[in-house]
Amino acid sequence: MNAGLIPSRPKSYDGVVLATPVSLGYQKQSPHGAAWFVGSALRNLLQQSGLKKHDVDGFSVSSFSLGADSTIALTQHFGISPRWLEEAPYGGASGLLALRKAARAVQMGDADIVACIGGDAAAHRSFEFTASEFSNFSIDASFPYGAGGPNAAFALITQNYMQRYHVQREDLGRIAVAQRYNANRFPLALLGHKTLSMEQYLNARLIAGPLHLFDCVMPCAGAEAFLVMSEERARFLEIPYCKLLAANELHNSHRDDDVQYRGGWTDYVGGMYELAGLGPENIDILQTYDDYPAISMLQIEDLGFCAKGEGAEFVRRTDLRFDGSGPEKNKLAHNTSGGQLSVGQAGAAAGLLGLVESIRQLTGQALGQQVTGAQHAMVSGFGMINYDRGLCSAAAILGRA
Amino acid sequence: MATRYSMQRRLRMNRPSLRLRSKPPKLRTQRGMDFTAANLVEPLAMQHCQSCRHINYPPREICGECLSDQLIWRKVPTEGVLLQSISLHHSLWEFFKRRLQRGSWPIASVRLQAGPIVFAHVAGQCFGGDAAAGARVNVFSHSDSSRQAVLIVVPVSTPIDTPAQRRAIVEPMGLLEPAVRGEQYE
Repeated sequence: MNAGLIPSRPKSYDGVVLATPVSLGYQKQSPHGAAWFVGSALRNLLQQSGLKKHDVDGFSVSSFSLGADSTIALTQHFGISPRWLEEAPYGGASGLLALRKAARAVQMGDADIVACIGGDAAAHRSFEFTASEFSNFSIDASFPYGAGGPNAAFALITQNYMQRYHVQREDLGRIAVAQRYNANRFPLALLGHKTLSMEQYLNARLIAGPLHLFDCVMPCAGAEAFLVMSEERARFLEIPYCKLLAANELHNSHRDDDVQYRGGWTDYVGGMYELAGLGPENIDILQTYDDYPAISMLQIEDLGFCAKGEGAEFVRRTDLRFDGSGPEKNKLAHNTSGGQLSVGQAGAAAGLLGLVESIRQLTGQALGQQVTGAQHAMVSGFGMINYDRGLCSAAAILGRA
Repeated sequence: MATRYSMQRRLRMNRPSLRLRSKPPKLRTQRGMDFTAANLVEPLAMQHCQSCRHINYPPREICGECLSDQLIWRKVPTEGVLLQSISLHHSLWEFFKRRLQRGSWPIASVRLQAGPIVFAHVAGQCFGGDAAAGARVNVFSHSDSSRQAVLIVVPVSTPIDTPAQRRAIVEPMGLLEPAVRGEQYE
């Protein structure tokens, strides 16, 4: 905040568009390194858009598994000479943080076409390694307490949330079950070949506290990518695109809350709706970051779809399936690809999952679970359990061109 | 040939599930090792900021309140309020995987009166039933079998004044000796 001044709000993202949604390489384990996933995503971006390597002059990478490399090493590996470079390894907020910076670069002429890529490898036992050395705070103060990985922190958050707002496991199950329904029609989802019933959800084996197996995501390998450019350029290139109507982010907010029950969205979502000239009622597709169902519910509240504490009531009366085939009267297509709960969590690339899926939906390129007539999509990101809570919050509203 | 054998052997020994004796995570940052050292002589010690008196945890380089780097290790009051406690049924770490075969492993988050929020192992035998949210508790440190300080939470009524008392609490928790392969089946 500028001392003594009113904090400014993000200016319009007019003229910035997103195009060329790419998802690939989803596997539970893979012999390939992260560069394979990022490079393959770049190759697919070029193939799908008809662009050449030298046309892409902005390069943004989100990954947890680059090892000794950083984004700059990949430019030599892939033989590209970008004039704008970015690394955004921010877990569930990766895609949105990369997008916001890329959008400004395009508006200001720092880059014309930015490739935003998330790619993560999954070698045997690599998740164990990522979890054991995730952050300095977690090495010293959370990993030694047994869970390993974020399950413990999220079990505490979920239990606190359930007690505070009288949420039942069935309520959280509605989110997981509806997402599996969506994933059953999404060919890349690693768990898409299996159905999930409420009974299966409720009877799954215990993991930690209130978390059972189907509350947790499966770590995997995979890549997600999209292009950011000006509307003019996308039109000239005849690439299908959708518009960026609003976006914002806030990190480590509400830091005095004992246990996390809200995120930074509460501070800026009103301004986002204002900038987009929309309200929650105009959003046809909502993609929340679903590392655990309670976190999706928390986002549904903080993004204004219902009041705080009414998330459970909201999912009881709302059909979250992509095709609105459920019995509930209120409809909201939620995590239309099945989210990480059903697709798998490909490290930092998972932070691009909802964004890439939204581009597919709004440009009519869905891979089998097209939401009909969707005009606006909201994507939200949450990430980085540095110690006891998720630090990043980010969101964007996209509109059909 | 000898090289190949030793590489195979190393790969084999590197599989935690095959190790005879597994221990809790030993890895700490430099400041994390300082935490262990400072806690050898106190029931609970954390970093006090010399310029704003803020008490900092997890261990760090810079005060989270005023950004000063003048942090010194001092005794901290052990009282706190239990925020939430849960039982783990799954772990990525071999030591806990073996312990979990005997039953779930309880941990909790606690807001210390001194300010910080900590994760701690719950001394289950000291709590009658579940450790409920809002309960008044004491948090103290103890070395585990990896020779690193970890935090233990007990009800506020449990005496923890002497090292012997604290050791008697930690001993039955299974933290002080390695988890031996196959032992859990006996």
